[in-house]
Amino acid sequence: MLATLGHLRPALVSTALSKKLVGAKIGDARLVREGEDDQKAFTLIDSFDNQIGAADMALIATKNDLVLIAPDTAVARQDFAAPDFVDHMPEGPVTAKLGKIVNPLRRLLVRAEGTVSCQMLKMVDDLDKTVARCRVHSFVPESGTAACMIEFMPLRGYDEEMDQLTAFVASLGEPLGTVGDIARALRGPGADYTSKPVIAMTPDQTSFHVATDIIRAQIAVARANEPGVIEDIDSEFLHDYRVALRRTRSVISLFKGVFTEDQTQQFKDRFGSLMARTGQLRDLDVHLLDRQAYLELVPPALQPGIDKLFDSLAADRGAAHAKLARFFNGQAYLREMDKLEKLFAAPKRITKGPEAERPALAFAQALIWKRYVKVCKIAGLIDDGTADEQVHDLRIHCKKLRYLIEFFAPLFGKKDTKVILKSLKTLQDNLGAFNDYSVQQEALAGMLDRLCAGNSKDAIEIATSIGALVTVLHQKQTEERARVVASFTAFNSEKTSARFRKSFKPGKTAA
Amino acid sequence: MTVIASYSNKGGVGKTASAVNIAYCLAKEGHRVLLCDLDPQGASSFYFRVKPSKKLKGDRFFTDVKRFTDAIRGSDFDNLDILPANTEFRDFDVFLARMKRSQSRLKKALKSVGNDYDFIVLDCPPNISTLSENVFKASDAIVVPVIPTTLSERTFEQLVDFFKEHRLERKKILAFFSMAQATKKLHGETMRRMRKQHAKRFLDVTIPFSTDVEKMGIHRAPVGSFSASHEAASAYRKLSKEVAKKA
Repeated sequence: MLATLGHLRPALVSTALSKKLVGAKIGDARLVREGEDDQKAFTLIDSFDNQIGAADMALIATKNDLVLIAPDTAVARQDFAAPDFVDHMPEGPVTAKLGKIVNPLRRLLVRAEGTVSCQMLKMVDDLDKTVARCRVHSFVPESGTAACMIEFMPLRGYDEEMDQLTAFVASLGEPLGTVGDIARALRGPGADYTSKPVIAMTPDQTSFHVATDIIRAQIAVARANEPGVIEDIDSEFLHDYRVALRRTRSVISLFKGVFTEDQTQQFKDRFGSLMARTGQLRDLDVHLLDRQAYLELVPPALQPGIDKLFDSLAADRGAAHAKLARFFNGQAYLREMDKLEKLFAAPKRITKGPEAERPALAFAQALIWKRYVKVCKIAGLIDDGTADEQVHDLRIHCKKLRYLIEFFAPLFGKKDTKVILKSLKTLQDNLGAFNDYSVQQEALAGMLDRLCAGNSKDAIEIATSIGALVTVLHQKQTEERARVVASFTAFNSEKTSARFRKSFKPGKTAA
Repeated sequence: MTVIASYSNKGGVGKTASAVNIAYCLAKEGHRVLLCDLDPQGASSFYFRVKPSKKLKGDRFFTDVKRFTDAIRGSDFDNLDILPANTEFRDFDVFLARMKRSQSRLKKALKSVGNDYDFIVLDCPPNISTLSENVFKASDAIVVPVIPTTLSERTFEQLVDFFKEHRLERKKILAFFSMAQATKKLHGETMRRMRKQHAKRFLDVTIPFSTDVEKMGIHRAPVGSFSASHEAASAYRKLSKEVAKKA
């Protein structure tokens, strides 16, 4: 039996399957047990947003092993290690594969636990010679749905028999699923978090209906991230929380006329004050994530100063996190979130503005087209000598344009929006980098001010390093700035323009 | 890749049992093993319940990599594959030589389909022919079971003479006493005399006469798989280790 690395063909089936298989007759051959049923505890591991499951894989940990199951390839195994950021886990065939599919900013977590039993079955011919094998893994999670996978293990020179065995299993009529389906079943309902929920909408729904649907979904995303922020699992929880609030605020400010002015202002204030609480921690997270990049930007002699700066930022972050966790756990916050959830769940008490009843498609086209024209107008005025403020202005309008297209994407052709968003992203990446360098310089300058106010003995060392860093960042910002005109020219092609017109200004092309 | 031939110019001495059990023990140790049943009587295949393959027929068999690899069958045991018996063994020696050359196309082709065996064990037919002469050349070791009797002593000497005459490397011969019975005076005397006369040819291990070995025919399996704790099984384990070391 050489090279029998089992290719898993998962089956989302009742755990009684192995009973149906034992003793079954397949032509002249029959299926019998080989060895004892091996029972052990297992955990299903994935990130909070199930990146492994989304890649149609499942990471299963038992006492001694980490096993990564992927469709149609050999199962990867390595010694057990506690789930963590992939980079923090020991190197091996499993982590090598995980490195390609899991965001390095995400920490892996236990998403389900239970017991798994493995029963090896062999198919033997009339001489009792083994001609094929399969192993049935039956997973019974504590919550979630039981599922099992069959690992077919072909034996060299017995391809026909293997085909007979797979055909037999298929003929049992059990529903088959993908590896991702099995992971989902094991996790159970309520563990299917995604930061980008798809919101169903139709062209005839009112703009009010669409707006409240989007906001309701975004509030749910924000709330789903609260425990992860409080437990401080990874920085993506707060990031996703803030993106959800930012999207909410964008709907409120960009969907003009859907709510009354008073209502709009009230929402802006309420969501704005929630957002404001999270700014300090997010800023520190962003800086700390850049630690290595910053270190690499300055000469070795100045690196100790950067390290000291980051040590002090890390201490600040601890305090900022504790403060935000207290806020999230507080009565005032919980009451406010509860009220907002209820308000958008049954939006009768939200006062409608003049555009509230407009059909979603017409409303979306008008908003997106207007924003697109504005982006083109601003960009058209920018040359290499234009003030930075104008570039920032362009960045903000691009972002708004992107959000609008994303919100209403279900109303438009998938392919068209995908191409448009892609060309927009290239431009945004340039503008985003330009902005990031600018924000970083400002932040470092702010730290310098704080340093002068205190009287740390490390102040001079840190200040020198900050000085060097600001110089490098300014240089990089200048480089990004030099690319802006070319980036916009690339975005502003005839093709892209035609696509925008086709989707968002139809009927005018013929004229 | 090491090639081990199990050979005897006399029948009924435990040649097939050696090939089967050495292959089984090496696989059990984690080596990847291919057992080739070159004996037209097909006893090795019989012990592994492998039915002869139709694909094996034809002259071109050993010159065609795909036909060869397609004929290989997985045994019931991990790491152990079987090439079932074939009545036509022309060109096998040529094939074997090509398989051993690391730069040969054959070797590369085998490697690419995951057939890079650590050991190839050959159950050779019980006669001296052109095939066996060429197999001796291509093999790293020739395992020769010898029943400690006067008749076997003479056939063993014929084999050593054959090696001398054909300028074959005698140090490849790894002989051992097979089906030895401690209670028989004749066995004891023959073993002492032969060990003295052919000191460099004989391995330390002796496979005792055992009903377990005879039972292989009933179980149709290697001794170690149904009677692992018995004397014969442990003797074969020792034999395979000694052979692997010297080959």
